[in-house]
Amino acid sequence: MILLIILLIPIITGLFLLVLRDPATVRIIALTSAIVNLLITLGLIISVPSASYSVNWDNFMGTQFSLGFDGISLIMLLLTNLLFPFIILSGFTRSHVQIPVLNFLILFTQSALIGVFLAQNAFLFYIFWELTLIPVYFILLLWGGENRRAITLKFFIYTLTGSLFLLFGIIFLFQLTPGLHTTDFSAFNQLHIAAHTQTWLFWVLFIAFAIKMPVFPFHTWQPSTYTMASKQGVMILAGVLTKMGIYGALRFLFPIVPQGVIYWQNTVIIMCLIGVVYASVIAFRQTNIKKLIAFSSMAHISLMAAAMFTLNYYSTQGLLFQVISHGVTIVALFYMVHLIQERTSTLELPHMGGLKLAAPNMAILLLIIVLGSIALPLTSGFVGEFLIIMGLAKLSIWFAVFGGTTMILGAVYMLYAYQRIMLGDKNPALAKVKDIRTLDYFILIPLIAIIIILGIFPQPILNLVEVSVNSMQKLLIPANEVVTLFVR
Amino acid sequence: MVALNSYITLSWLVPAFPLLGFLITGMAKNRLKNNQAGIIASILVSLSFLMSAFLFFALRSSGQESATVTLFNWIAAGDLKIPFAFLIDNLSVTMMLIVTGVGALIHIYSIGYMHGDDRVNSFFAQMNLFTFSMLLLVMGANYLILFIGWEGVGFCSYLLIGFWFKNPAFNYAARKAFVMNRIGDLGFILGIILLFFTFKSVGFTEVFSQATSMHSGTPLVTLITILLLVGAVGKSAQIPLYTWLPDAMAGPTPVSALIHAATMVTAGIYMIARSSILYNLAPLTMNIMIILGLATAIFAAVIGLRQNDIKKVLAYSTVSQLGYMFLALGLGAYSSAVFHLTTHAFFKALLFLGAGSIIHAMGGEQDIRKMGGLRKKMPVTYFTFLAATLAISGIPPFSGFFSKDLILSKAFENNPLLYILALGGALITCFYMFRLLYLVFFGSQRLSTVHPHESPRVMTFPLIILSILSVFGGFLNIPSLFGGDSRFGEFLNKSIISGITEELGSATEIGLIVSSLILLGLVILYAYRIYVKKADIPVADGVSTNIFSKAIENKFYVDEIYSAVIEKPFGSLSDFFFNKVENKVLDPAVDEVGILTSKLGNLVRKLQQGNMSFYLFAMVAGILLFIIFILIV
Repeated sequence: MILLIILLIPIITGLFLLVLRDPATVRIIALTSAIVNLLITLGLIISVPSASYSVNWDNFMGTQFSLGFDGISLIMLLLTNLLFPFIILSGFTRSHVQIPVLNFLILFTQSALIGVFLAQNAFLFYIFWELTLIPVYFILLLWGGENRRAITLKFFIYTLTGSLFLLFGIIFLFQLTPGLHTTDFSAFNQLHIAAHTQTWLFWVLFIAFAIKMPVFPFHTWQPSTYTMASKQGVMILAGVLTKMGIYGALRFLFPIVPQGVIYWQNTVIIMCLIGVVYASVIAFRQTNIKKLIAFSSMAHISLMAAAMFTLNYYSTQGLLFQVISHGVTIVALFYMVHLIQERTSTLELPHMGGLKLAAPNMAILLLIIVLGSIALPLTSGFVGEFLIIMGLAKLSIWFAVFGGTTMILGAVYMLYAYQRIMLGDKNPALAKVKDIRTLDYFILIPLIAIIIILGIFPQPILNLVEVSVNSMQKLLIPANEVVTLFVR
Repeated sequence: MVALNSYITLSWLVPAFPLLGFLITGMAKNRLKNNQAGIIASILVSLSFLMSAFLFFALRSSGQESATVTLFNWIAAGDLKIPFAFLIDNLSVTMMLIVTGVGALIHIYSIGYMHGDDRVNSFFAQMNLFTFSMLLLVMGANYLILFIGWEGVGFCSYLLIGFWFKNPAFNYAARKAFVMNRIGDLGFILGIILLFFTFKSVGFTEVFSQATSMHSGTPLVTLITILLLVGAVGKSAQIPLYTWLPDAMAGPTPVSALIHAATMVTAGIYMIARSSILYNLAPLTMNIMIILGLATAIFAAVIGLRQNDIKKVLAYSTVSQLGYMFLALGLGAYSSAVFHLTTHAFFKALLFLGAGSIIHAMGGEQDIRKMGGLRKKMPVTYFTFLAATLAISGIPPFSGFFSKDLILSKAFENNPLLYILALGGALITCFYMFRLLYLVFFGSQRLSTVHPHESPRVMTFPLIILSILSVFGGFLNIPSLFGGDSRFGEFLNKSIISGITEELGSATEIGLIVSSLILLGLVILYAYRIYVKKADIPVADGVSTNIFSKAIENKFYVDEIYSAVIEKPFGSLSDFFFNKVENKVLDPAVDEVGILTSKLGNLVRKLQQGNMSFYLFAMVAGILLFIIFILIV
């Protein structure tokens, strides 16, 4: 029942907001609901070892409305409910445009995301998966920037195409289930699919997640979408939506097509690592700060995707840790970008510079976030990336070398960007710029505190993750057994 | 024993003091007035020094060789367990004393040097953060804690090189330092990961106790030591990753003294000395270190010959001296390397602080060609600078003589050719240092617009202390040749396993020393003739026609080569990926799928334009085809 409450709080609050007028009230109610949901989630993590909720849906396609969680869902749930209060809070500005609708859409997204992470049934998962697209589509279309129509359409169609493959995969799996067919994950996980089927089914299932993450070369929707998206839009996209891809891959590929995973393991890792280097190299010469961070995010996500396929303990733990770490860092980073844009009225790096003189505190906060992003020890990014690189090294030292290039290239492009924004001589255009305001502190200080605290005391998250990694390892044991047969 | 352990558990105070200083001066940076930040920062580093000294005595009196203090578990993931722990032994205590001792003096000096800078509070916050990181580096009980400090000092170095952030060139230098360090760090972290896979631990005690039973030349250990060496080469500015250090002189001079001479750049030497057991197992890596160290020592010394910026001369000199330390490491004489590290920390910090005092007096001028005659105007600076110059040149009984002679004699034991090359480097060192000394302090003042004066006491006091250490520091480790007992080396050898055992016969050694002293004396005389007697002031850049000397003046064009071979191609690659691959191939490919779909739609649409007769035709044709299909199959 508690899961249903977590799922419904945002959407019900959101619907209620639509009848309100006063922007201030709308914002406060939206924020309160998000905070309440976060507290319930934290309570759930601390106290309840397992909870589930299910209702029969007259057996439509063998589908039950069933919610539940394991460690992996819990991490994703925590990430979602941790970030949404900040995303909503970042909307506490003077803007008065369609506040109820905007907050409704944000909360709608939150509910759909929670649904994705809690669904215990593939069809239900698919419904929530597609549901997230609707509010995000409108957030991008209505609040986006330049060229938003074309870009949003491309984003929408691209991800939708990917999802169609997933739907096909789900139906295919559905008809494989014995007896009265069902789409429950528990039934899918029991399937023993022929090895040659798994090799192609892997791609049918993976393509949707690869596009969502995105992984090279399925990423081309991402840079333009991030660049165009509004502040809150890009925070949702980069912070949480990309993690749906990781979650989906973990949920579908490893238990259902383990042999397919092993068959394609090296191919996918190499693809992801190409993405790491490719995106990092591109980021260096970007002049648009949002686009630069979009490519940077792609590099980090690609590294996480590579980690996913190493199939060992260190990387998997690093990956799930990094889910939280990357989410927090990228949201803070994009919020910072918004502050910079507000002050310099540009996103073009060559037009910036010297902001530190006008806004010294802002410069310090940005620098700390940058350090988190380039994984300096004692920030959360280091713990995650260290474990990931360790897992890659377990497979091949060359994987670790290429994965590790983020350490170098990340420092190259992020510090260059930092310099071009903040450092340099006085910029006459910025003479009257204000330093950070109270609201910004409320958003940035907690996020930065999380980055640093998780860097010094990563253990709570690692412990939380441990359960899920163990469960994943269990799922992978049969896969490893079978693979010896498969290779023969 | 009990008492000792309870004292040693307090070792966390050593890094805690500067961390506290960072927090105070950082948080209150808008409220602290005048010298308050500097005083707070200096007091806290001094407390840290007192605590280190206390630990030193506690450790000595206990008779114990080492103690580990675990604060909490940092990372635990499966079989990977990394405690946040400190290792207190002779080596780490020595390093702690150097870091906090020299650090405290430089902090005090900075009160005078940075007086009046509008970001002085930030400066001291960053200096304290650096001291904290450096202490983590030398105190960490495992490679990953060391790595925290390792990257931490790199970051503080970035901050402090770019301290005057209005200048784009300084910012570039700061980024260059950080990125070059990170290249090394990638090697380092991969080495740590392999260490873990090999030994199932990254703790010093655990790794080394297992390593003692391994065979020499094991490929895995060789690979690990090479990867760790990559890290050390980046941090300690050896060929090919040294070019960031001369540029790092963009930072305020006390930063150059603390970070880029006395402490951070020696981290690589510390790390390898710490890993002595592993390196003893890898003769290949040792040989690489000998070659790299010697090549760097000579190459940087040669460049130092024709530099005219006082700080650049000292910077190349640092690179060169670090090369000597690497040479010592490669020879297996780890404790000699650490001994040279120690004396170098004294005299090089002194040289930089002296340079700071000179620059201060010259109103910011750094070109030695414009100085001269400062001997009378700045007596304290002159005498302390002279002491440091004699020390670095290896004149007995100054400290550098003992430490450098130790390395040279080890080189001779290994191969006389190594000795000759190393001695050649030492003679060059002697020459460029005396050139610097003569040009700055002798002759007459060449820039009439400034009125040099001695620096305030807060700056001269650290100079005097450091000059005492530079003069007498060598007595810590008097070799048996002079009736000493090599106490410092013996002390360190409790933490380090030396890679060599042979000793030179005393007759040979005396012969070597005497001949090298004669040569040094000749070099000094020669420099005196050129720069004092003839008052030969080096001409401006670009005037010299000799190709070789022009190459030296331009630092052998290494920066230009790196720029042409790495930086520019990297930018082009970035453009190529974005403009060609991304925008011409990948993105259009996806659009093409979309366009194809809509074209397909158009094609099908043409069939449905309301043409009744076509519909009828299609229907009949369809039925016919269907019937034929059924009949045949």
